[in-house]
Amino acid sequence: MEEEIFNPRTDLAQLNQSVTEIKNALAKVVVGQQEMITLLIAGILANGHVLIEGVPGVAKTLTAKLMAKCIDTNFSRIQFTPDLMPSDVLGTSIFNPKQSGFEFKPGPIFGNVVLVDEINRAPAKTQSALFEVMEERQVTIDGNTYPMQEPFVILATQNPIDQEGTYRLPEAQLDRFLFKIEVKYPTLEEETAILQQHHQQKTSEQLDEIKPILNAAQIETYRNQVRSLHVEPKLLEFVARIIHETRNSKSLYLGGSPRASLAIINAAKAIAAMSGRDFVTPDDIIYVTPAVLRHRIMLSPDKEMEGVTPDEVVHQIIQKLEIPR
Amino acid sequence: MYKVICLLFCFFISASFTTQKHAVKEASAVLKTDSSALTIRHFNAASLEDYRQHRDFKYVDHPGEGISLWDQFWRWFWYWIDNLMAGKVTGSIMQLLFIILGAGALVFMVLKLMGMDMMQIFTGKTSTVEIPYQESIENIHEISFEEEIEKAISNRNFRLAVRLLYLNCLKKLSDAGAIQWKADKTNQAYLHELKNPEQQQKFGLLTRQFEYVWYGDFKVDQEHFQQIRNSFQQFNPKLR
Repeated sequence: MEEEIFNPRTDLAQLNQSVTEIKNALAKVVVGQQEMITLLIAGILANGHVLIEGVPGVAKTLTAKLMAKCIDTNFSRIQFTPDLMPSDVLGTSIFNPKQSGFEFKPGPIFGNVVLVDEINRAPAKTQSALFEVMEERQVTIDGNTYPMQEPFVILATQNPIDQEGTYRLPEAQLDRFLFKIEVKYPTLEEETAILQQHHQQKTSEQLDEIKPILNAAQIETYRNQVRSLHVEPKLLEFVARIIHETRNSKSLYLGGSPRASLAIINAAKAIAAMSGRDFVTPDDIIYVTPAVLRHRIMLSPDKEMEGVTPDEVVHQIIQKLEIPR
Repeated sequence: MYKVICLLFCFFISASFTTQKHAVKEASAVLKTDSSALTIRHFNAASLEDYRQHRDFKYVDHPGEGISLWDQFWRWFWYWIDNLMAGKVTGSIMQLLFIILGAGALVFMVLKLMGMDMMQIFTGKTSTVEIPYQESIENIHEISFEEEIEKAISNRNFRLAVRLLYLNCLKKLSDAGAIQWKADKTNQAYLHELKNPEQQQKFGLLTRQFEYVWYGDFKVDQEHFQQIRNSFQQFNPKLR
């Protein structure tokens, strides 16, 4: 009935078609993990970087690689190791004897979709090399600034920090990730399906079958559409209240930043667009908030000792707030 | 060469013996006698008596002599503790007990200072976050919907009228026991609460209409409003 009454102001049909195609393509290889796939797509549409965390062997890297395969742009991969240097990521100036001058050799960060695998295995020195490029989408070396080509998305994977050989990422870097997606173990049924797929040797065939679905121009168009979605002022206030509560919560040592508020709005817009709506609802905000906040907030020492998770605190904060209606 | 070395060796040996003899002769010549006068000093008898009377220097114990009942109690208490600790087995058990009690008290103090919920450590249940709860400005059970809707229509505020229609619908669902009204629940949460599939499908359509108008800021004229109102009116009587 509402289709007869309300004509959408933004045509999101093409966007939804592409989203469905990507989901279908990934579902051929990755069993389950629907939330991870939805948030990955939302991250790309919201022009944000995504951090995927999970124990080894839960298809983090595979999903990120597949997502990159669905996008027809330059893909590069950096394996973060403890001895990695900033110049290994950003690039370096090399003396060219023929021209009698230094020549900049771009590093692997100069791609459209960059997969940073096991990001928390490199120390803080290397991590800090990503600060400028993640936020400002440019690299400054030897006084020269090199802008990144759009789209520029970092898909990073990491193991939980309590695992051997990992470092905690700097807060400033974590704040630059739109989402932190936590990948859980598959369910019993999903695990059985994974084994069946592996037994029938389908995975490698299906991996080759995946063809690019989106190109750079399409991504730019979709991003503009997402940016133009309507957000009711009461919902903006709702987001501000959530973030404000994180700053005043006794359970938290560090609350959300203004960048977190912006991230919630941008991500909620992407989720709304993926649902075919050109406006944001409280459900969109509540859906994205844990993924936006879980890596940005820090638990107070007592809550950390009690085993409380950031998600639990976020849920409790949201439950105490009235839904704007 | 060896002959030269032997000659040199004999020369140095003979030279050292000669020096020693000369030194002995010189040492016997410096003896002197001390003839200075000596002064004998005696202890002060009064001071000695004072020290003898001091409690700290009385090594024989006479319990209860010149001390208060409180001091006597503590004297008895420490005497009792000493006796407890004296035995080999009992002493070690008591020592262990005191150490455990001391460590427990220390842990208790640290946890108290950190403000941790100690029951939670044992039960594993997470405590709720303390946030001042803000009461809803509107309570759907206190709104006179018919009156407010008519007022909104007469003011041609159809957007507000749609919102009131939706809130009224939630109230009716709550009264019918189909949902549990709570200010922190979203529309989708209410939708999932409905068990009747037909009711769920129809309420889903009403929810979408409300969301388009209220969150989507879609303009509603009188004609559109009438269509929306009709769909609400069709749904409401089915609620029991």
